[in-house]
Amino acid sequence: MNMFLHELKAYRKSTITWTFTLVGLIILLLSMFPAISEEAETFKKLMEGFPEGIRLALGLAVENIGSILGFYSYIFLYVSLFGAIQAMILGVSILSKEVREKTADFLLTKPVTRTQIVTSKLMAAFTSLLITNVFYLGAATMMVSLVETKEYSTKIFLLLSLTLFFLQLIFLALGIIVSIAVPKIKSVLSISLGTVFAFFIIGALVSTTGDDALRYLTPFKYFDFAYIMQNSSYESSFMMVGIAFIVIAITASYLIYSKRDIHAV
Amino acid sequence: MNVFKREMRANRKALIIWSIGLVLMIASSMGKYAGLSASGQSINDLLGQMPQSLKAVMGMGSFDLTTAMGYFGVLFIYLAMMATIHAAMLGANIISKEERDKTAEFLFLKPISRNKIITSKLLASLVNILILNLVTFVSSILMVQRYSKGEAVIGDITRLMFGMFFLQLIFLFIGTLTAAGSKHPKTAPTLAAGILLLTFMLSIGIDLNNRLENLKYFTPFKYFDAKNLIHPPGLEPAYLILSVVIIAVMVSATYIFYKNRDLNV
Repeated sequence: MNMFLHELKAYRKSTITWTFTLVGLIILLLSMFPAISEEAETFKKLMEGFPEGIRLALGLAVENIGSILGFYSYIFLYVSLFGAIQAMILGVSILSKEVREKTADFLLTKPVTRTQIVTSKLMAAFTSLLITNVFYLGAATMMVSLVETKEYSTKIFLLLSLTLFFLQLIFLALGIIVSIAVPKIKSVLSISLGTVFAFFIIGALVSTTGDDALRYLTPFKYFDFAYIMQNSSYESSFMMVGIAFIVIAITASYLIYSKRDIHAV
Repeated sequence: MNVFKREMRANRKALIIWSIGLVLMIASSMGKYAGLSASGQSINDLLGQMPQSLKAVMGMGSFDLTTAMGYFGVLFIYLAMMATIHAAMLGANIISKEERDKTAEFLFLKPISRNKIITSKLLASLVNILILNLVTFVSSILMVQRYSKGEAVIGDITRLMFGMFFLQLIFLFIGTLTAAGSKHPKTAPTLAAGILLLTFMLSIGIDLNNRLENLKYFTPFKYFDAKNLIHPPGLEPAYLILSVVIIAVMVSATYIFYKNRDLNV
């Protein structure tokens, strides 16, 4: 419990900063909705002069942006990018910082097992992400009800917003396993930003092909917003892969960390 | 000279990894273009009339996606983002790592002035970002030429890479300045990354909403916008001068701050 509280306190400032960033970002992006929804309306009229086939191909996308959920699913890309960075940094740093800051010998000589150490640190990271998500969800819900006058499905909105939390958990697990697998981490940020952007760009490339098998490569594509909006549920196969990855990564982290050589100074 | 050599060696592995990452990215995304170029001209007509903000939300920008060069223009912002992350992290770490790794005492007891140390470190980072830029330059030309069906691309790519080099320089020196100015060595990379993400989001915000147009001087990503670099006006002297001024100010500030810095040992 002491370790849990200590970690939570150590990450207080970063949790607050990230929460404010995400809340600010969603407020900024959603406040643009009224203007864009108008433009989408005009553009739909303009499209009537074009052949049927093209109208169908593009029409769906335009129709989507005009509605609040469609618009939300487009801008959510940037929110998920920031969320993933937060989770990855947290995951990479939380176990590796003891060695980097030369506090490992202090902590590991205390009468606690390594398993307990990993557990408290994991719980602290989880709580920090949970806090961020609660505030994000509150801000997003408020903003959406402010800018949208028409009815929308609250369930789909919640499902879309919750993907942020799942994505963060995946990146948290990834960060932890990376921090344990790499022998010595000097700069947490370089590794985290590099990895997250690599996955983000793979995601951007995958979406131009529409190949489903490739979507397993990047967590950013585990949640297909079009699918969520049509079926109001997640795709079970991707959900399973995500959960399996988290479970394997965390278990492996426990196993490796409990046997690992840790340099004291 | 010794410090310079030492830094080149210390950053060699990271540089190789970043170079491979960028080359892979260019190769894989231009490979995707082959499939895309098959679609007809009429989609392009329709896209031409689509409001700017809608295209920005969908991540297309105002590029002619049926030509290899237009497709590369969409890719450019991602390339620039990767290169600037590398530059900012390099700049922040190369200055702050001595204090972080507790090697500051060792280095600063040597009979060389602080200015000399900073100069060697800055030179080493300059060579690093130049190499990364050249790798991107050569692989872009090779890949785009393969798909461009004989169109002239070298001029466009040269302008784009020139712009990217300026972006790299600006963020490199943002990194060194934060490292020279911040109280704790740990905060420098975080601060540099924060500035980078903030300016990046601002440039996306400007694309989404015309009313933010006046803020474009606050984000370097807008100084070298791919669509301006490919089409006229090309490289605008006003932005070039502004960048040179920003770079000059930050370099001198780095020297001044670091000279008077109270080192954490």
